[in-house]
Amino acid sequence: MLQTLPRRAVVALLALSVFFPLGLVLWQSVLSGPFFMPSAQLSLESFVFIFEDPDFWMATRNTLIVAVGMSVIAIPLGAVLAFIMVRTDLPGRRWLETPILIPIFVSPVVLGFGYVVSLGPVGFFSVWFEELFGYVPWNIYSLAAIVVIAGLTHVPHVYLYSSSALRNLGSDVEEAARLSGASPFRVARDVSIPMVSPALLYVGVLVFFLGFEIFGLPLILGDPEGHLVLTTYLYKLTNKLGTPSYHLMAAVATCIIAVTFPLVLLQRALLKSAQRFVAMKGKSARQRPLALGPWKWLALAVIALWLLLTIVVPVSGVALRSVVSSWGTGINLLEVLTLDHFRAVFEEDVMIRSILNSILIGTFGGALAVGGYLLVGLATHRKPDGLSRLVDYIVLTPRAVPGLMAGLAVFWVFLFVPFLAPLRSTLFSVWFAYAVVWLAYGMRLIQSALMQVGPELEEAGRLVGASRARVSLDITVPLIRNGLLGAWLLVFMIFEREYSTGVYLLSPGTEVIGAQIVSLWASGAVDVVAALSLINMLLVGSGLALALRFGVKLHD
Amino acid sequence: MTDKTILSVDNLALSYGYNPILKGVSMQLRRGEVVSLLGPSGSGKTTLLRAVAGLEQPHAGSVTIAGRTIYDAAAGIDIPAEKRDLGLVFQSYALWPHKTVFDNVAYPLKLRKVGQGEIAERVQAALKNLGLGHLAERYPHQLSGGQQQRVSIARALVYNPPVILLDEPLSNLDAKMREEARAWLRNLIVEMQLSALVVTHDQSEAMAMSDRILLLNGGVIEQQGSPQEMYSQPQTYFVADFMGSNNILKGRITEICDGEACVEVAGQLRLWGRRRSDAAIGQEVKAVLRVEQLHLADGPGEHRLAMDLATSMFLGDRYEYVFHAGDTLLRAWGKRPEAAGQRWLEFPPEAVWVF
Ligand SMILES: Nc1ncnc2c1ncn2[C@@H]1O[C@H](COP(=O)(O)OP(=O)(O)O)[C@@H](O)[C@H]1O
Ligand SMILES: [Mg+2]
Repeated sequence: MLQTLPRRAVVALLALSVFFPLGLVLWQSVLSGPFFMPSAQLSLESFVFIFEDPDFWMATRNTLIVAVGMSVIAIPLGAVLAFIMVRTDLPGRRWLETPILIPIFVSPVVLGFGYVVSLGPVGFFSVWFEELFGYVPWNIYSLAAIVVIAGLTHVPHVYLYSSSALRNLGSDVEEAARLSGASPFRVARDVSIPMVSPALLYVGVLVFFLGFEIFGLPLILGDPEGHLVLTTYLYKLTNKLGTPSYHLMAAVATCIIAVTFPLVLLQRALLKSAQRFVAMKGKSARQRPLALGPWKWLALAVIALWLLLTIVVPVSGVALRSVVSSWGTGINLLEVLTLDHFRAVFEEDVMIRSILNSILIGTFGGALAVGGYLLVGLATHRKPDGLSRLVDYIVLTPRAVPGLMAGLAVFWVFLFVPFLAPLRSTLFSVWFAYAVVWLAYGMRLIQSALMQVGPELEEAGRLVGASRARVSLDITVPLIRNGLLGAWLLVFMIFEREYSTGVYLLSPGTEVIGAQIVSLWASGAVDVVAALSLINMLLVGSGLALALRFGVKLHD
Repeated sequence: MTDKTILSVDNLALSYGYNPILKGVSMQLRRGEVVSLLGPSGSGKTTLLRAVAGLEQPHAGSVTIAGRTIYDAAAGIDIPAEKRDLGLVFQSYALWPHKTVFDNVAYPLKLRKVGQGEIAERVQAALKNLGLGHLAERYPHQLSGGQQQRVSIARALVYNPPVILLDEPLSNLDAKMREEARAWLRNLIVEMQLSALVVTHDQSEAMAMSDRILLLNGGVIEQQGSPQEMYSQPQTYFVADFMGSNNILKGRITEICDGEACVEVAGQLRLWGRRRSDAAIGQEVKAVLRVEQLHLADGPGEHRLAMDLATSMFLGDRYEYVFHAGDTLLRAWGKRPEAAGQRWLEFPPEAVWVF
């Protein structure tokens, strides 16, 4: 009995952390005003309001275009990339693995900013292109550009899932196709990729609902021409009416969740069936890479072009922009080099605080979050009962809630739960929101580490007289030390990258770089944004370097 | 149940989902006795062992150890694994890779709040007893398979559990070491007067190591008894077939006389054997004859049949002769190589079992 008590407490706390903020959003959406106002009544008027707003429908339409468009771009590209990396003899595969995954760890708001300064109307690359060819054929502020960029930056997600599925496939099926006369790319199209279609379907759903949640890219790229998506529409609602229009924001949030939550459930069902598929196949035969022959040049060119567009162009833009005072046609960049922007950053307390806070939340906050995820993981580890199934669903739920709204919900919680109110303007509120938003990600890291521990090692502990808790403490946790270190580094990077969750929690004392960039961008302080963006990338980069140094796998 | 009984399992039943794995198993282990759980792969041996250990959840029956009920479905008693005070040697040894040999063996004592000095003493004694005295500071991955096995036995014995459970203890050793280890293990168990329940799928291992054998088949005990009984008095075809190397002939009963039956095989061969089931004239039966009971004969005679010798195989300590008997093969052993051709074989009726 005693041992089940802490287990239930952990699960109860988890359920409360997830469902209370979410419940608050749903509750708020059916009130006529902010829920703390005595005059607020049950009503559907918030839904009536947004449904009558033409902007809402435009945002919905754009969101759908973005979600569909980026799936159409990211899925085939990611699948082909995975095939090339996993199943062929492409030279330099080992070195390409890390760069391919980088876009996952770059903050989308930094990325968006990078595209503006590189490919915007007066961006570095646009200017060079114009000097060379006399015109600029692209418009970075168009909806099409947003779709393409969102698609290209989500290729790594597809790559992750399809490459691990491909790794489990025996190479005999491919060799058979090769012998019957298929070229490497026919083999990929006709044999390998269809055989990993369960994984592709799974990741297809993932990318589609990520399309409903993207915020940083459309915020920065969609603003000049007024292309709203649902998340940016929600963000702009604040200014629309002047007064805190919490009930309207909640109504928009509810609409988004109504789409994403079923998709998350669908995804879970797909994963279950994909696992059955793999389990049935059993251990795969030895793998022999497919010889690409002259095709390797085409493959290398495609990968290089993609890396150029998704990493080199935006990242170099940010780096360059942070060290020049002016730019444009006819300016020699070497003459305008400056460190003033960084000086400006380090002269302001707010900026210094946001950098320190970011570091704190990544290091201590990351460790604390991993500790929390570990507790949840241990509470359900090898106990396939009702409580564990419940945890499965609780963990998935935040996935359906975009970070922006999760941050808003947590803000409300800290604003109106009396004993939590003093914590609102401390870093704790930001940490709590981050930990909840990344719950599913963190739990996957912890669970895959826990699954590595042979069950008989734990059973041996039970047999010689250790209770469940003792076994966790003395056997399980020491055995997954490396997994925990890896999880901590990955969570560090993810927390450094995070920006939208902190937007509504931004207040004196809770500044973090990501949210600070969003707020500064609105005020047009481009110089400081550039310097902060670079600092942000350096923080993520140092996490990445450490992770690579310790041999942490960036994926499972 | 006598007062010598130390482990008693009564009507234990267990299912995975709707799939019954143990269908009411009862058995007893007496103090100082070695009992083998024998059976083909998938028959539920490991599951029974784990259910006794408290690692699997039965849904009916009871388990008693040294007079203490540790599981009783009817009474709602289910003592958790760590409170059952049993020793289990895992098939994979399950040594904790982050602890040294010493710490692996010391851990059970630490959990029992034994003092530091006494722990060191008892662990050293246990390791020495198993010939591991010099390896205390090593980590499991620095040991050979045989040494790992000994450490896992030391860990299971160090707290003097009343019963020790072993799951396929020899299966991870290579073939040659296995026979030595078998003798060593039997000797150790006898010398330390342990009560042991050993799972194995190897009938010769079971016979060599145990005082009694329980043969499991599809989640029920097919037969139990001493190795001699199991080998020479099988009650069912399954037992006869599972124990020993056999010649099996399928045929039809043509005649019955007292306890003997005449079986006609493939319409030509006719041989007499002991009736071991109530099959009647005309019914399809199987005649089982241990390979070592089939002998070459020097000429025709009663219970002798002429057959074609296809080949002789050299097995080191003997030769194996392979005969064609209709569409099946018969095997017999002898001391000399024999050239191919027709030979007479003797089928002693008392050694032919008709099921
Ligand atoms: N976790 C499990 N879930 C479902 N069936 C299982 C599980 N473990 C074992 N079984 C089934 O139970 C039966 C008995 O298994 P086991 O006790 O391991 O057999 P043995 O040790 O005799 O080879 C087998 O048919 C096996 O497929
Ligand atoms: Mg087994």
